[in-house]
Amino acid sequence: MDITQLKIHELRKMLDEKEISSVELTNEYLKKIDCFDEKIQSFITVTKEFALENAKNAQSLIDSKNADPLCGIPIAIKDNICTENIKTTCSSKILENFIPTYNATVINKLKNENFVLMGKVSLDEFAMGGSTQTSAFAKTKNPFDLSKVPGGSSGGSAACVSAGFCAASLGSDTGGSIRQPAAFCGVTGLKPTYGRVSRYGLVAFASSLDQIGPIARSAHDCGTILNAIAGWDTMDGTSSKENTMDFTSKIGQDIKSMKIAVPKEFFAEGIDEEIRNTVLKSVEFYKSLGAEIIECSMPSLKYAISAYYLISSAEASSNLSRFDGIKYGYRSTQGDNYNELIINSRSEGFGMEVKRRILLGNYALSSGYYDAYYGKALALKQKIIAEYNEIFKTCDVIITPTTPSTAFGIDENISDPVKMYQADICTVTVNIASLPAISTTCGYDKNGMPIGMSIIGKKFDEATIIQVADAFEKQFNAISPNLA
Amino acid sequence: MSYIPVIGLEIHAELLTESKVFCTCSAEFGGDTNSRCCPVCTGMPGTLPVINQKAVQYAVKAGFALGCNINKFSVFDRKNYFYPDLPKAYQISQLERPLCIDGIVSIEAEGKTKDIRINRIHLEEDAGKLIHDDFNAVSLADYNRCGIPLIEIVTEPDIGSAEEAKAFVEKVSLLLQYAGVCDCKMEQGSLRCDVNISIMKPTDKELGTRAEIKNLNSLKSIVKAIEYEIKRQSKLLDAGERVIQETRRFNDNHGDTKSMRSKEDAHDYRYFPEPDILQVNFTDEMLDDIKATLPELPYKRLERYINEYKLSEVDAKILINQKIVSDFYDNALKVYNNPSSIANFIIVELLRRVNLGEIDLEKLSFTPEQFANLIEMADTEKISKNDAKAVFRTLVETGKNPEDIAKEQGLLIVNDLSKVDEVISQVLKDNQKIVDQYIGGDVKVVGFLMGQCTKSLKGVCTPKVIKEVLENKLKSL
Amino acid sequence: MISYLSKLSKLQFSDDEIKTVADDMTHIMDIMDTIKEIDVTYDALADNKNVYLNDLREDKSAPSMPTELILKNATNSENCFVVPKVIE
Repeated sequence: MDITQLKIHELRKMLDEKEISSVELTNEYLKKIDCFDEKIQSFITVTKEFALENAKNAQSLIDSKNADPLCGIPIAIKDNICTENIKTTCSSKILENFIPTYNATVINKLKNENFVLMGKVSLDEFAMGGSTQTSAFAKTKNPFDLSKVPGGSSGGSAACVSAGFCAASLGSDTGGSIRQPAAFCGVTGLKPTYGRVSRYGLVAFASSLDQIGPIARSAHDCGTILNAIAGWDTMDGTSSKENTMDFTSKIGQDIKSMKIAVPKEFFAEGIDEEIRNTVLKSVEFYKSLGAEIIECSMPSLKYAISAYYLISSAEASSNLSRFDGIKYGYRSTQGDNYNELIINSRSEGFGMEVKRRILLGNYALSSGYYDAYYGKALALKQKIIAEYNEIFKTCDVIITPTTPSTAFGIDENISDPVKMYQADICTVTVNIASLPAISTTCGYDKNGMPIGMSIIGKKFDEATIIQVADAFEKQFNAISPNLA
Repeated sequence: MSYIPVIGLEIHAELLTESKVFCTCSAEFGGDTNSRCCPVCTGMPGTLPVINQKAVQYAVKAGFALGCNINKFSVFDRKNYFYPDLPKAYQISQLERPLCIDGIVSIEAEGKTKDIRINRIHLEEDAGKLIHDDFNAVSLADYNRCGIPLIEIVTEPDIGSAEEAKAFVEKVSLLLQYAGVCDCKMEQGSLRCDVNISIMKPTDKELGTRAEIKNLNSLKSIVKAIEYEIKRQSKLLDAGERVIQETRRFNDNHGDTKSMRSKEDAHDYRYFPEPDILQVNFTDEMLDDIKATLPELPYKRLERYINEYKLSEVDAKILINQKIVSDFYDNALKVYNNPSSIANFIIVELLRRVNLGEIDLEKLSFTPEQFANLIEMADTEKISKNDAKAVFRTLVETGKNPEDIAKEQGLLIVNDLSKVDEVISQVLKDNQKIVDQYIGGDVKVVGFLMGQCTKSLKGVCTPKVIKEVLENKLKSL
Repeated sequence: MISYLSKLSKLQFSDDEIKTVADDMTHIMDIMDTIKEIDVTYDALADNKNVYLNDLREDKSAPSMPTELILKNATNSENCFVVPKVIE
């Protein structure tokens, strides 16, 4: 039994029954990171001492039988989530030495359960990308095939879970950045409803779309983590006052008579045939449990990429304006005056993809173009929301493929930004509509690469999508990658 | 050629909230540099603005005070530009759906009344301060002021002269003070004013090109700057040249304006709705509640003082010119209902001392009730009017009740007629020679005798009584 | 256009980069321009999240972050951020 591939509730049992201590567990992961992360490159910062200290403290709570669900559980954090006194780089040169003096709210919430912080894992620079190859520090590889990408932007988060470097991780999802890498790396990733989890301390990419969410080895684990991090936050005016609940509470309930919608545009030609077939087979599995499958349509899907990129880039261009080297971050040595200095700092510090998005964003917002681009994109957002509302009138969940292809090669697509953007087609509408979605592995392609399916739920209905994903996972033999 | 000046004002007023508009840092004035800051107001990565309820309320209150309508669905927007005093490189402000629109403020200038229309009032955050160190070619940035709530009041170009502009700023200051939302101290920067000015010929159909004037730190500057601009623009047009649309900076020492940057090279602010702040809604009830917190506004008080209390316009204006004075007056009236008497004492005694710097209205050592009691005592001849001033002096110093002070200082007039009789008889005895002069026909000596009696009877009774008894006694001789 | 956007973005590109950036942006805009096909207008009122005045944060101040922490990640002097001079 490979302890590094166990699920959280299994680890919880072992810890509580003293079969293993938190320090031992942490050391197992650290050993594996030592052995294999040089190849996989998932971590930017491994917080070894801090993790062992956390583990020791957690252990005393475990010993006194005061352990919360995540007590003593080692979790890795995406490096765009601020951790007090621990370098937070967003995989960018511009924050290479930035040490926050505050924690993100989710970190404080995990601290309350005495989790073990394994370290900060890699991402596409400022969460912009689908491959993690734009990271300035750790271009993560897919544990299933080192010549392939782990996906992005939470590539480090997905890879470290897949490779067995920790029990789970936190990622962030703006256009698919949790779900797509989870699918590529054969693990489970959940993007909560917008507003379900506080964004305070998440370095903003697209403020109206960003959400922090868990990546783990099962839907159940994702629910356990969501339980810890969800909730209204006074520091985030967009966080929802919607009641939280135990998001794992519907697990095991009957799927019979559940209505599952399958929008035809998500199964059209642009999606690999193997993926279409695998996902549809999984849908058949639900049918065999008694669920009703409903065909439906989302005609605006074809505009989704434009709407997403215009909205997210516009917000990003504004959110990234604060990076000028004056208050924090990379400060160029060139520049005799303010203007020159900030131009140099930003140009030397940001990577090309980030720069492209900033230009695109400013274009969409600039005088004379606002109505045609940003204004239009906001209108499209409303249309997509309306189409989802229509579909949800007659169904409980929607199932789609998570990605149009399995993990692509490291050097593929890297010089074709447009192709990269179009690969987000299956995931972006979920962010646009502020809905929750979970991606779980439903098969492997002919090369053994994982295929993910997404289960999309109504707003704030994370419990149902976790229930539905879990029903599939229970009978599916997920494979762990062979790292040797 | 005489041109018609067309002037619009943009007034920024700092709101008197306890915390900043988007974070919980204190909104107090001053403080050591960067001592009233947090990750939010310094724009650190991952931080988010959370809007302050009171700031919104105060903005709406200001809107009501200036006669505005309130947008029941109001949106915040980002105004994007780079400047070292702006940590996020955008300012959270309002563009298309500001909190307040379509107000009206009436002013009196150059003998006429005029209505100045308010286009909008919106809520936004203040930027930080830059301290320039030219020797080292750097600026030092202090972010204490970042995030202080500001309202921006924008007028239509209805103002026609420097005097009207001054009257307008004074009126708005007064209204905001009465509303309790801003202390309007231009010297401290809690009230700032930019002027947009153009000129046109009476026969012109379109407005002229306007210039924006910044750096006006006092009413005097506003007047001087407008007068200078009218001259400058007139000269240009007279010479057949154009006025350039630009931003100009007023120089207090020279009394002139100089070009800062061309407004044509205007920033592309790329406004878009602020995604981190959800739009604010109001019910009619909420708006009514805010309106109800407005005190009686100055022009209503002026009407009351003139029409009901029959005060002169001059006196009434002095009283309403500071809310704290008007409130004091109204409270004193509740205790002793003699409007002219109290008004007089306030103006002649209290405000005189305030203007000399002897009394701080914000830190009075006595209450309006005590003040009213003192005046009532003087009016009902419990003490002499002269002595009232002395009692007042002690009241200011000690805050003790006037009646107690008068007693202690022996100034209470008891009008004990037997005592008076006794004392005056004694005075006459002591001044037999003078009395004889009187009997001899010298009427002038009555004055001297009065003086002696008053000295001896100091505070015991009123001069009227002294005169009466003395005259009676003299007659009977 | 790229030069105008670069100015707005406070970014500059080397002569080598400029051509690639321009090409990339052209391709990207081709995709973005597909939204011109559809005729929709944004309805600001429909986006109302129904947050009312009374739901907003109470006006209470809390202790600020100590000055050293505010300045910890910056070039600073005399308790201020140091900024090279601005040329108007």
